[in-house]
Amino acid sequence: MKTVIDAHNISKVYNKDKIPVYAINNVHLHIELGEFTALVGPSGSGKTTLLNLIGGLDTPDAGKIEINGTDITALRSNELIDFRLKNIGFVFQSFNLIPVLTAEENVAFIMELQGMSKAERQNRIKTLFGQIGLEDKLNSRPSQLSGGQQQRVAVARALASKPQFVLADEPTANLDTASANKLMDIMALLNKEEQMTFIFSTHDPRVIERARRVITLVDGSIVSDTAQVNIYSTNGHEK
Amino acid sequence: MRSLVIMLSVAIGLFAGIMVLAIYKGVMRSRIKTVIYAETGHIQIHDTSFKKDYEPGFTIRNGVSIVNEIQKYPEIKTVATRTITMGMLSTTTGSSGIQINGVIPEQEHLASQLNQKINEGAGFNPNKHHEVLIGKKLAKKMKLQMGSKLVLTCTDSSNNIIASAFRVAAIYESDNAPLDEKNVYIRQTELNEMLGIGKEFHEIVVLLHKDEALEQVEKKLKDQYPNYLTENWKIISPETDLMVGTVDITSYIIMAIILFALAFGIINTMLMGILERTKEIGMMMALGMNRLKLFILVLMETFFLTITGAPIGLFISWGVTGYYNTHGINWSSRGKEMMSSFGFNTTIYPEFPDEKIMMTLFFVVLTAMLSCIYPAMKALKLKPVDALRK
Repeated sequence: MKTVIDAHNISKVYNKDKIPVYAINNVHLHIELGEFTALVGPSGSGKTTLLNLIGGLDTPDAGKIEINGTDITALRSNELIDFRLKNIGFVFQSFNLIPVLTAEENVAFIMELQGMSKAERQNRIKTLFGQIGLEDKLNSRPSQLSGGQQQRVAVARALASKPQFVLADEPTANLDTASANKLMDIMALLNKEEQMTFIFSTHDPRVIERARRVITLVDGSIVSDTAQVNIYSTNGHEK
Repeated sequence: MRSLVIMLSVAIGLFAGIMVLAIYKGVMRSRIKTVIYAETGHIQIHDTSFKKDYEPGFTIRNGVSIVNEIQKYPEIKTVATRTITMGMLSTTTGSSGIQINGVIPEQEHLASQLNQKINEGAGFNPNKHHEVLIGKKLAKKMKLQMGSKLVLTCTDSSNNIIASAFRVAAIYESDNAPLDEKNVYIRQTELNEMLGIGKEFHEIVVLLHKDEALEQVEKKLKDQYPNYLTENWKIISPETDLMVGTVDITSYIIMAIILFALAFGIINTMLMGILERTKEIGMMMALGMNRLKLFILVLMETFFLTITGAPIGLFISWGVTGYYNTHGINWSSRGKEMMSSFGFNTTIYPEFPDEKIMMTLFFVVLTAMLSCIYPAMKALKLKPVDALRK
């Protein structure tokens, strides 16, 4: 399988000058194309920090991170922004849609940044909204959508730029069970049909049990990394 | 709400700026009008030596023929003649140094609207002699009333002191209190008789149909009468010309202060905007919006808010100046004495400063754009990872 993420001995230290706190401590992580991975662990274990590091939102104090062979720790700020735009999709816990834009505009915004043509954008939006099941909500503003619908739009936005992988930070934390299941169904379907790599941090057992690989972090270190047999089909029902 | 605040700031800033310019333009236009139409006329002609000491002997020798000739100029609206001498006004209670103006009432009414300035009495009565028109300020100072008797003393063309008694026929009040205190008007024939200068006079006052013809007519008169002193109102009343320049500078300073306040308003509002949208900005940077695009985004937002607010300010100031241009802003209850002591009319008619609108708009937009640079820089300094945590 093709390696998408290769993080070597990465560390992130806060409060370096006084009492150093290792948010990530000498972590080695290897993610391959098409993985559906959950990062789990108690609060403060470093899940979000690790996602931020492999997403290029933060820089490690030690080690290096390669995405498709590119060492992102060596990139300059603007190069890193450009790299994120082309290679990484993000889904945030609190959706983070732009409130004044419609669902369609929120997704199109990323493609505009990429310089995609209008026709190409329209095709992609049609496909994405079909995949997330919100074809009838194109012109709705975030305030007119439920939490689950907003998070599905956020997933569409993450996929809009055709990234190498999607990082999702606690994607179901603000959702009810039905919405969480629906979201996981969509992500699992995209993973299966488009070989899209998903890495998500979560506390949520409903998400953990859907993952095929579960990495457990404690105090910034990986304490377990296990593959599990997924008992769910893509529609969320037990096989 | 924030956008509305910026739009209103721009609109109010522009309105305030334009109103300042409009009021100054109205004040200065009114002052110039007063100088030309109530004091000096557009052009005056004198003997070259007359204004040195106001000697009665320095008359315009062939004045009548000059008047007859220049009256034929199509640009000239009216011509008036004046006999002028310095003298003393005396009453039983005191005396005051004055300028005695010998005028032909019909001409003077056209040249300086003397009849319109009268606020007590009816002016010269054709059936009476030795009547004098005095200013309100002089009347108050000398405790003179309608019908009061006074004596005017001056030197004649042979340097003899001569005095004659007059009665107050009218008390006038112009927009220029210092001039009211200094000038009295009697009939030209009576002053000429006192001075012994026959039918001659010292001053020809020329009023034009259009202000724009000033330079052209002045040149023509200078060429035609090189032996006389031909001067335009700017030379005769240099303080007014200086005031026009000073007021222009003052209006720009006030404008700069308004723009400065506008800048702080925009900086504050945009900083609040950046603060409110920290998470949104962090998200956009995380998703791949580079710093240049983010900078342009903040600039564009300010630009569009400015060009939306600007027409509102323009429209309001156009409406308000239009209204007050017709109805006037009356300051008589607040500073009549102060205004008239500087020669200003107490009713101001603001004029929409068409010629300065583009410049004002340019500076308002420039101020807005410069003001948003600091908030934009603040936005650029945000780190997506920190911004997303907010």
